[in-house]
Amino acid sequence: MAQDTVDLAALIAWLDSFRGYVTENRAYLTELDSAIGDADHGINMTRGMDAVFAKIKEAQDGGTPFATIDDLFKAVGMTMVTSVGGASGPLYGTFFLRMGRTAGTAETLDAAGLGAALRAGLDGVVARGKAEAGDKTMFDAMSPALDAYDAAVAGGADPAAAAQAASAAADAGRDATTPLVARKGRASYLGERSAGHLDPGATSTALLFQALAETLAA
Amino acid sequence: MAVGIVVVSHSPALARAVVDLALEMTPAGGPPVAIAAGGPGGVTGTDAMAVSEAIGRVGSPDGVLVLMDLGSAVLSAEMALEFLDDPDVPVRLTSAPFVEGLLAAVVTAAGGASLDAVEREARGALAPKATHLGTHDEPAEPAAPAPAATVTRDLTLINPVGMHARPAAMLVSALGGLDAAVTVANLRTGRPAATLSGTTALLTLDGRLGDTLRFGASGPDADEALTRIADLVGRGFDEMDLTAAAPAAAPAPEEAVPGDVHPAAHAGGPTAPGGGAPLGVSPGRGVGTVVHMPDPVTEPAPGPAVPDDQRAAEADRIDRSASAVADELRGRASRVDAEAKAILEANALIAEDRGVLDDARARVTGQGLAAAPAVWQAFTAIAEMFAAAGGVIAGRVADVQDVRNRVVAHLQGLPAPGVPVRTEPFVLVARDLAPADTALLDPAVCRALVTSEGGPTSHAAILARSLGLPAVVGAPAALDIPEGTLLLVDGGTGELVVDPSPELVAQVLAAPKAPEFDGDGVLADGTHVKLKANIGGTADAQRAAGAHAQGVGLFRTEFLFLDRGTPPTLDEQVAAYRGVLEAFPHDDVVIRTLDAGADKPLAFVGPQHEDNPALGVRGLRTSWRWPQVLADQLDAIAAAAAATGTRPWVMAPMVSTVAEAADFVALAKDRGIATAGVMVETPSAALLADDLLKVVDFISLGTNDLTQYTMAADRLSGELAALNDPWQPAVLRLLAQVGAAGRRAGVPVGVCGEAAGDPLLAVVLVGLGVTSLSMAPGLLGAVAAQLAALDRAACESAAHAALAAVDPAGARAAVRAALGL
Repeated sequence: MAQDTVDLAALIAWLDSFRGYVTENRAYLTELDSAIGDADHGINMTRGMDAVFAKIKEAQDGGTPFATIDDLFKAVGMTMVTSVGGASGPLYGTFFLRMGRTAGTAETLDAAGLGAALRAGLDGVVARGKAEAGDKTMFDAMSPALDAYDAAVAGGADPAAAAQAASAAADAGRDATTPLVARKGRASYLGERSAGHLDPGATSTALLFQALAETLAA
Repeated sequence: MAVGIVVVSHSPALARAVVDLALEMTPAGGPPVAIAAGGPGGVTGTDAMAVSEAIGRVGSPDGVLVLMDLGSAVLSAEMALEFLDDPDVPVRLTSAPFVEGLLAAVVTAAGGASLDAVEREARGALAPKATHLGTHDEPAEPAAPAPAATVTRDLTLINPVGMHARPAAMLVSALGGLDAAVTVANLRTGRPAATLSGTTALLTLDGRLGDTLRFGASGPDADEALTRIADLVGRGFDEMDLTAAAPAAAPAPEEAVPGDVHPAAHAGGPTAPGGGAPLGVSPGRGVGTVVHMPDPVTEPAPGPAVPDDQRAAEADRIDRSASAVADELRGRASRVDAEAKAILEANALIAEDRGVLDDARARVTGQGLAAAPAVWQAFTAIAEMFAAAGGVIAGRVADVQDVRNRVVAHLQGLPAPGVPVRTEPFVLVARDLAPADTALLDPAVCRALVTSEGGPTSHAAILARSLGLPAVVGAPAALDIPEGTLLLVDGGTGELVVDPSPELVAQVLAAPKAPEFDGDGVLADGTHVKLKANIGGTADAQRAAGAHAQGVGLFRTEFLFLDRGTPPTLDEQVAAYRGVLEAFPHDDVVIRTLDAGADKPLAFVGPQHEDNPALGVRGLRTSWRWPQVLADQLDAIAAAAAATGTRPWVMAPMVSTVAEAADFVALAKDRGIATAGVMVETPSAALLADDLLKVVDFISLGTNDLTQYTMAADRLSGELAALNDPWQPAVLRLLAQVGAAGRRAGVPVGVCGEAAGDPLLAVVLVGLGVTSLSMAPGLLGAVAAQLAALDRAACESAAHAALAAVDPAGARAAVRAALGL
């Protein structure tokens, strides 16, 4: 049953779903990365999300569950930073830290609030990675996803519908990375040879929005 | 204080290597340098938190300069800045080149320069290379114009190599703390004088032997600055003198000393135990062309006198061969770790030593000796002088002999002594290998090893297993196989196939290699079993981290203590432990305290004869006689832990009673070492497991000794090899008791003996309740792959099957049957 607001439990369910996706696609993400990078994206993301869940479980079992969205995402972001290893660590870490900072002490977010948090996350990714459109990075999936999300909210969509639109746009953005020549990260050293492959970061970002859409629709 | 340097890299090995290289430039002591390298669990990657901690370790109000390799290193370093909370420590990230920039930064910081100056030198550090290659652009930020010198001095370079990195670093360090502005110009090139603010100015001088450099200085300490410079230049930067270039510690000889081998081994020399059949000691099959280990070089016969008119030409051969040997040594130096590099470079200097070469030439021109015997005599005379001098200098004798043998071999057109260097796959055939030889084997090209001598516990066999290299020992017939013949080696069965059929070769080449370990030991049902590495020092630790080991299950510390007349100092120990801990900043490292005694006597406590050393004062028992050795070692471990921000575990070897374990744990805890355990190597310890587990935090099964003591069979005896088998039912039952005790107590039980690296036995061990396995890094992939295919129930049924068997062969067969293999 779709809701007008998103609470902590839903956000944790989103993260759990994302963890499921990266685990399921671990070999695929790593294979994508082996074509144009250092063949560790799936391994790194799985390790990072497993560590995130160990952290969440520790908080819940330890009797000190997260009280605010900032608490949750601060823990998620810091865990990603210290447990991923590759560039995705600081990038996804910054994404979640900025999301948390923007959501602040709220315990629930409406559609616009979630959009603002996601947008702040994207801004953080840009500040950290200095990526622009067409650089063949996670930005190429995330940026159209948030544009679609904002457009849907402006048209009166609830969070679930907006996330659905974001997920579709992220998929399209991900697919559009195939012909691009990488201009960031280790793939950029390959020059023209990086064209013809999906970008692994854009692929995991599309999974992030797919997880969000499915979680909120449930 | 000085400006601190932080090195951020994807690879701990890369970071250590480049830091070692940089710190060689400042033998008198460099600035504080911290490494943040590798992701969680030592994987390739970076960790922003680790970067921020590294900055914290070297931070002072003088500031911190951060050098990064690429990609996530930059992102993590930027992110780390957000975690820092000390506004009094200026931190700067620099785009300086990673290697050259670090060298320049370390040297400049060691001289007490400001953060600005250190960064400027680091960023300009590519200039010498660019100048050399003719691609130098004018620097974006030109250095301040040189102040007018009040005093000048012209100095001529007398060291053979001229102004290179090391002399430049010495000069800059010598000027540290002086209030003087110094300029330098090379009168041969006529380029304008440059300000000597770091090594860059010196390295772009193109200063060669015989060049005159004009140094100018101004300021209150101008005279002192020039005096110090003149002293260094006049000494040839200590590169004129053989002994001054020697590393402080005596290096191990690089090859077997003549006399160590048995030249008669072709026919009926020592063979494998059990009657002479070749014995497979390291499983796997390899194929390649035969390369024989060269025979050791012996003294060349003097031969007839060289005619007068040919003596000059004969003498010139000496210089050519010596210089070829020096080049070869320097070439190898560029491919090895810092410690070996220093030795090889020092040896290259020996090969170029003018005094010795002139002595050899004189023996040709004066006495009419041929070049080879002349070289032999000249170097031998120096070696004898060194030996007579004693102390550190005597430690160089083996190096002089090594260089002598190399030059003589070159003169005689023989292959250089030592392990042959090849780029194509080959099978090495040797009589036996010394530890120093085996350390040079490159498994990328050496596909298998065959020796005529040796048994299952020979150095060659142990090393081959750790490298995952197929090996057969006790095969004297292999010495007669001509060089270049194709040979197939089965290190499991001991079979050697000369000229194998193309089908057979294709089969071997197509055999699946053990998959690389991905750093996550896990059963099919998701149960985690940590797969760790056994190591003996920093280089091993770095290799293990590169193989994605989930920590170190056994760090043998003996190397610090053996073969030396005095115990290692606290600082030496701390440095050695830090090297290992830094390779595994996020994982458990289990440090075993000194396991001396028995076959590993401690020289510094004097000879201690025991009739039955394996049952004597060894392992933890040595601390009854020499308690200070253990106390110092635990102090050093605690200090290394504090310095690296890690929490290593410690364990004691050769424990028999609960009281021994409790005493050891108390000693560790007194020093703040939080996790202390013991090895279970004696039947007594295994039988007492339930009681031991009440006083320790973990136990680790040393299956090699546990087998030898359970079976009452000396593990060094080839004749008793069948008894020394961890699949023996009595050993398996003891392992089962310990595993069950660990489960009951909820305490981790590891295995760090050779049993852990046998994929089939690893399954049994997990089924018996073992929670981690530690092995040679080369074995991680095969063990991980085997475990990943099975769930816990399958491991337990394999364990039941093994326990029900009455002998090792039956146990192996039963486990294979239970697993459907």
